[in-house]
Amino acid sequence: MVLAELGGKLRDSLRKLHTRSGRVTTTQLNSVLSDVARALIESDVSVKLVMTLRDNVKQKVERLIEEDDDDNDDDNDNDAKKEQRASNVSKMVQKAVVDELTSLLEPARKPHTMKRGKPNVILFVGLQGAGKTTTIAKYANYYQKRGWKTAMVCADTFRAGAFDQLKQNATKLRVPFYGSYTQADPVAIAEEGVDQFIKEHYEVIIVDTSGRHRQEAGLLEEMQEISAAVDPDNVILVMDATQGQSLYDQALAFSNAVDVGSVVITKLDGHAKGGGALSAVAATESPIVFLGSGEHFDDLEPFNAQSFVSKLLGLGDVRGLMEA
Amino acid sequence: LFAQMTGQKVLTKQDLEAPLKEMHKLLTSKNVAGDIAQQICQKVQESLIKKKLNSMYRVKTAVRQALEQVINELLLPSTQLNILRQVVSKRDQASSLFARSKTQRPFVIVVVGINGVGKSTSLAKLAYYLKSNGCHPLLAACDTFRSGAVEQLSVHAKCLGLPIYSKGYSKDPSLVAKAAIEQATKEGNDVVLVDTAGRMQNNLPLMKALGKLAAENQPDMVIFVGEALVGNDGIDQVKMFDKAVSFQNKYQKVNAILLTKFDTVSDKVGAALTMTHVTNAPILFVGTGQKYHHLQKLSTNGVIRSLFA
Ligand SMILES: Nc1nc2c(ncn2[C@@H]2O[C@H](COP(=O)(O)OP(=O)(O)OP(=O)(O)O)[C@@H](O)[C@H]2O)c(=O)[nH]1
Ligand SMILES: Nc1nc2c(ncn2[C@@H]2O[C@H](COP(=O)(O)OP(=O)(O)OP(=O)(O)O)[C@@H](O)[C@H]2O)c(=O)[nH]1
Ligand SMILES: [Mg+2]
Ligand SMILES: [Mg+2]
Repeated sequence: MVLAELGGKLRDSLRKLHTRSGRVTTTQLNSVLSDVARALIESDVSVKLVMTLRDNVKQKVERLIEEDDDDNDDDNDNDAKKEQRASNVSKMVQKAVVDELTSLLEPARKPHTMKRGKPNVILFVGLQGAGKTTTIAKYANYYQKRGWKTAMVCADTFRAGAFDQLKQNATKLRVPFYGSYTQADPVAIAEEGVDQFIKEHYEVIIVDTSGRHRQEAGLLEEMQEISAAVDPDNVILVMDATQGQSLYDQALAFSNAVDVGSVVITKLDGHAKGGGALSAVAATESPIVFLGSGEHFDDLEPFNAQSFVSKLLGLGDVRGLMEA
Repeated sequence: LFAQMTGQKVLTKQDLEAPLKEMHKLLTSKNVAGDIAQQICQKVQESLIKKKLNSMYRVKTAVRQALEQVINELLLPSTQLNILRQVVSKRDQASSLFARSKTQRPFVIVVVGINGVGKSTSLAKLAYYLKSNGCHPLLAACDTFRSGAVEQLSVHAKCLGLPIYSKGYSKDPSLVAKAAIEQATKEGNDVVLVDTAGRMQNNLPLMKALGKLAAENQPDMVIFVGEALVGNDGIDQVKMFDKAVSFQNKYQKVNAILLTKFDTVSDKVGAALTMTHVTNAPILFVGTGQKYHHLQKLSTNGVIRSLFA
């Protein structure tokens, strides 16, 4: 994913801050921040977010940076002192960059935790073709394997073959499902299906919905109606790792319409770095809970933002950065 | 910043630096892939450097006009591709040769692309378009992998009142396509639309299987379906699919691009530039919604307007 490749690029550009003169100038700082920004944008992170990140870093370190034309050769610091100062500045810059990236990945909101012996209604939403129906099958598989009584409801009455798709997956997984070929109202189906599985004491009740997008207000309203009807314990937004600059606004619109609590990023088995989908975390202020990495039921990895960040930018990488 | 009147000045690299940097940022924020934005800016620079600037113009205006020019040239082939003409001309050629014999091979179209981009939906839209224009399409259900894929296509065939050839799941898609083409030839369908399973461009076995399907069925047109939502990955996708279909037969290639979900990107239309810049394959249509009639020609002016919106 995006940050995995960023570590190396960051190290390379931060190395530029180690100058013989012991000074870090505005020009040098700008050039480093440009490198970082470019790397992020080429991983599809929202340009808006990248600019904010850049401004925040700048603000944090500005007072430590010397002006380019600040002709202070006559200062009487010795070399050791200069060395010390430069390394402090570059450490501060590194820390500021890492902190900003971390806050991108670590929203304040904590992931939802499933409760045993109770119905946990989980509503899946997202853009067309993002991977909702496939992820639902993987998600059901994940919880069923861990002993949760799991069921699925197909509230996608729009897409051709949607019910067959969910039904075939459910049958392969031996997970009970609810849906209809004739009922056209997704709100009614969602409500009936969830009610039935609550009565039957299912613990994880997953609701699939049609794909939708922010440009069509009617679709977002329909999603709100479904959400109101089933009163979900968690709403999961599914985001496609191959997508780019439009995702931030899309994720924001979903989040404004319903109470998105988690994000799943799919299609990470491709070449894409997932920065667009990552921007969804910032837009929804919700953590990533799973990563999708293929079309098979087992291609789902739990994701823990905190441990990911500390592994990547924390111990391993930050030490790398410091030694650079 | 660079908005000064420049008089009868010869443009230098230096004059262009700031406005081009601005332009690059604009393009990437509109979802043009980084590399492509760079190349486009390079072209703009080449077209402007050493040019005498009319005193009425500001550098910024000159850059914008040059960019519009570059985009127009880039998208020009997209405005000229005509699938209907191709289908009809093959049909007419065949019927004049064999005097309406029942053995004329139909025009074969294969849609390819990564998972979930809108291949099957676009295929249904194309079928609707062709049928509305007097053609007789047959749909071939050659996604024999993804759950519900065959039923999805059957629903479209039923809604559109069109025949479908399907053999269920787990079959070799290349063989299903072959049988579908044979049936179409027998039944007198003039065009076969072959649906394929989505696959990631770096999945070697699946890409090889696609190459096999292309080599064994020799489609008249391979359409790469990509999303207007795609980010920097678009470059890699279209390159790798082009490579895969030409792997066993070098005359086969991606002939056209269909850019879906154009209705979901608002002014972030950059993928149109990214995709065409990579292979020079023209954009056949853009998908603008989930209904059958949501298929349009790309508007070059619309793209330019969105970029500067
Ligand atoms: N390679 C890969 N493919 C995936 C992944 N997740 C989903 N897919 C594929 O993406 C395509 C679309 O997935 P769906 O589950 O149908 O997407 P959806 O969001 O339900 O689509 P709509 O209901 O039409 O909005 C299918 O071909 C899936 O097999 C993933 O992690 N990796
Ligand atoms: N808004 C919008 N949605 C679209 C467009 N084209 C396709 N879709 C939707 O995208 C989703 C996926 O479409 P499919 O046609 O199933 O995609 P696919 O590429 O065949 O998917 P796989 O076969 O699973 O790889 C469906 O919900 C479609 O309705 C479009 O132009 N605009
Ligand atoms: Mg679905
Ligand atoms: Mg399909």
